[in-house]
Amino acid sequence: MRPTVQQMSVAPIAITGMGCICAAGRNLPDSMEALLRGERHPAPPVRFASDHPVRYPVFEAADFEEPPDLLRTSAFGLHAAREAVADAGLDRKALGALRVGVCVGTTVGTVVSEETFCRGYLAGHVPDMTPIRRILRSNPADVIAREFGLSGPRQAVVTACASGTDAVGIAGSWIRAGLCDAAIAGGADELGRITYIGFISLMITDDSPCKPFDQHRKGLNLGEGAAMLVLASERALRRTGMRARSFLLGYGSAGDAYHMTAPQPDGAGLRSAISEAMATGGVSSASVAFVNAHGTGTPDNDRVESRVLHDMLPGIPFLSTKGYTGHTLGAAGAIEAVFTAACLEMGNIPANAGFETPDPVIGLTPVREVTAVSGTVALSESLAFGGNNSVVVLGKA
Amino acid sequence: MSGTGRIVIEGVGVVGGFGGGAHDLSRALTGSACSPGTLELSTGSGPVTIPAFRADVSRLEEFLPARTLRRIDHFSRLGLLGSHLALADAELPEAERPRLGIVIASGYGATGSTYAFLKSFISDGDIGASPTSFSSSVHNAAAAHISIQLGAKGPNLTVSDVHLSVPSALATARIWLAEGRVQRVLFGAVDELSELIGYIRHRTRDASPAGPMTPLRTEMETSIPGEGAAFLLLARESASRGGYCTLDASTTGSLPIPGLPFPEPGLLVLGADGCRESGRRYATVARNARVACYTPLYGSMPAGPAFDLAAAALILKGGRVYPSPGGGFLDFPATVPVGGEPVGADRVSCLTLAVDEAYGLTTLGRVEPQ
Repeated sequence: MRPTVQQMSVAPIAITGMGCICAAGRNLPDSMEALLRGERHPAPPVRFASDHPVRYPVFEAADFEEPPDLLRTSAFGLHAAREAVADAGLDRKALGALRVGVCVGTTVGTVVSEETFCRGYLAGHVPDMTPIRRILRSNPADVIAREFGLSGPRQAVVTACASGTDAVGIAGSWIRAGLCDAAIAGGADELGRITYIGFISLMITDDSPCKPFDQHRKGLNLGEGAAMLVLASERALRRTGMRARSFLLGYGSAGDAYHMTAPQPDGAGLRSAISEAMATGGVSSASVAFVNAHGTGTPDNDRVESRVLHDMLPGIPFLSTKGYTGHTLGAAGAIEAVFTAACLEMGNIPANAGFETPDPVIGLTPVREVTAVSGTVALSESLAFGGNNSVVVLGKA
Repeated sequence: MSGTGRIVIEGVGVVGGFGGGAHDLSRALTGSACSPGTLELSTGSGPVTIPAFRADVSRLEEFLPARTLRRIDHFSRLGLLGSHLALADAELPEAERPRLGIVIASGYGATGSTYAFLKSFISDGDIGASPTSFSSSVHNAAAAHISIQLGAKGPNLTVSDVHLSVPSALATARIWLAEGRVQRVLFGAVDELSELIGYIRHRTRDASPAGPMTPLRTEMETSIPGEGAAFLLLARESASRGGYCTLDASTTGSLPIPGLPFPEPGLLVLGADGCRESGRRYATVARNARVACYTPLYGSMPAGPAFDLAAAALILKGGRVYPSPGGGFLDFPATVPVGGEPVGADRVSCLTLAVDEAYGLTTLGRVEPQ
């Protein structure tokens, strides 16, 4: 039985600032330009080595300022948060006048493990504790709250690849519930050996550039990065003079209750999440301009997701942006949310990179070139290990 | 979204060093002996045995067939047992399970499987990495297994904020209920004491004592690591069939706490876990309050505040304060009931202090007589 969803819309939450870092660019404007130019540069990893016989391509982010006492994941989060806060026209003083929460999705930013440490322990040595201490003080939500001196709630959301989407949706709920006036919300994840080797072991990585929704897709390419959004209440807008760039209209999430790593074949969980997101956003399918799909390029994900899109949002343009960024795991939902909002602003969506041959099993074709869109509402979807499905509905200001 | 309304704790499911189930926790709280076991560690200077509160998950076979559990690791088994105990305690009809929301808090996640995954490729090369260990190592593994085994298709969230994981996650669970996204949330906290976490604790804390934990003695380190799961079945009052108490508030923030000092004659359950440094912080914040502390029954772990909540729920249901185990209260600058006294108030609050002046505060209230 599917969960009941109250068919009641919620108040829109203003998005006043956005920031992003990923393989496509060190900030959101650069990333959007790269997407619209169709640029992508997947390549075997250069930041770490592997003795695996196959060199799988990944999307590593360009160099950026990484404080040595922080995990790379938290440094990504901080970099994106600084851009988002500046984009919102805020500084520490303005933030200090508000109760501001931080909600960050991640998969590796809270994991207590480090390869060098574990190798030393296994070898019977007394390993240096520095990496562990770095992990314990690098919770990405705490790092951002410390940097800006924020006093509101903090939360690291760890719902695997849906984390970034959930973090944005939850932060919106915090603001509506009055837990905070504003929030910095998003996702952050670094790419390292543990993740790289882990996904290879699952046999869901493509040894060539990923091809979301293509007939010959073989799996995902991993990526890394972060994106953050500044969400604000009406009160915060009045007090600071911030302006809405776009709006978080709705959020929905539901579990498959099916399998640890495979999506439910009929996509029932994703259907529930879309229904809830659209109901809370007060939008109908007729008003949806496009869908930024999860679109990992794995055979299972793309088959299930396209089936749901075919049934629930027929004829609506859709794409996956993972062909430009790789799958950035806990950051993906947030990166794709800021891409979605930016596309609504520009009125254009990029091509679904990597797509060449329609899959008769899927029966749907994502956008193949830069495409003008005219609507004011778009969806961004995430599916995750554990059967998590999460969707946000974003609206044009 | 629909109006807020009150939230009721309908069921309690706990598993830890004291045993499994609300009855075992109640028995431990009333003074039954609860001694820690041990954890064996390999160290650079040879094997070491440290005291530890380990949790036995064998009761899980009362709820799930052994075949189902074959590939499920200890971390997720803790979560599965805690969740099934909470649902059984609440006598929730099976037909209600698909509509459950699930919120899990974990400070460290599935560290046993994470370590097993690293060992697999450190020992056998990158090509020998274990896919089973990798998929079990994700933080939301316990929530996923609970969802699958219960058929719970509502929203599903896992939160990891080290020592503030519980109050942080609980705040979001309350919002889901207040928004009307779900009628019930199965809320739980899970942490396992894996070899990796045991070793890290061994390296980062002073040597643990042979004696009991005395968390209200602030001059010495008496922390003993623990593991377990503590679950609460939360329901909107309009959907509830009654229960232990109400969940009135859960907040996190930076000190000072608004509303201090805590009002007499309310009760404040402290999450002090025998760590000398944090003990001093609790002594400062809870000065002159009426306090209790039950961590010597389950040990030190990020999931500990959920056990504090379970104890507080039992206190409000029974109407009397349990004695704080461990002794060493004379120098603590607060009133510590000897046990057996009436609660004396309609509310019990649970306080968690973390580093960086961060705190979590959750308040439970007495259920009005029907």
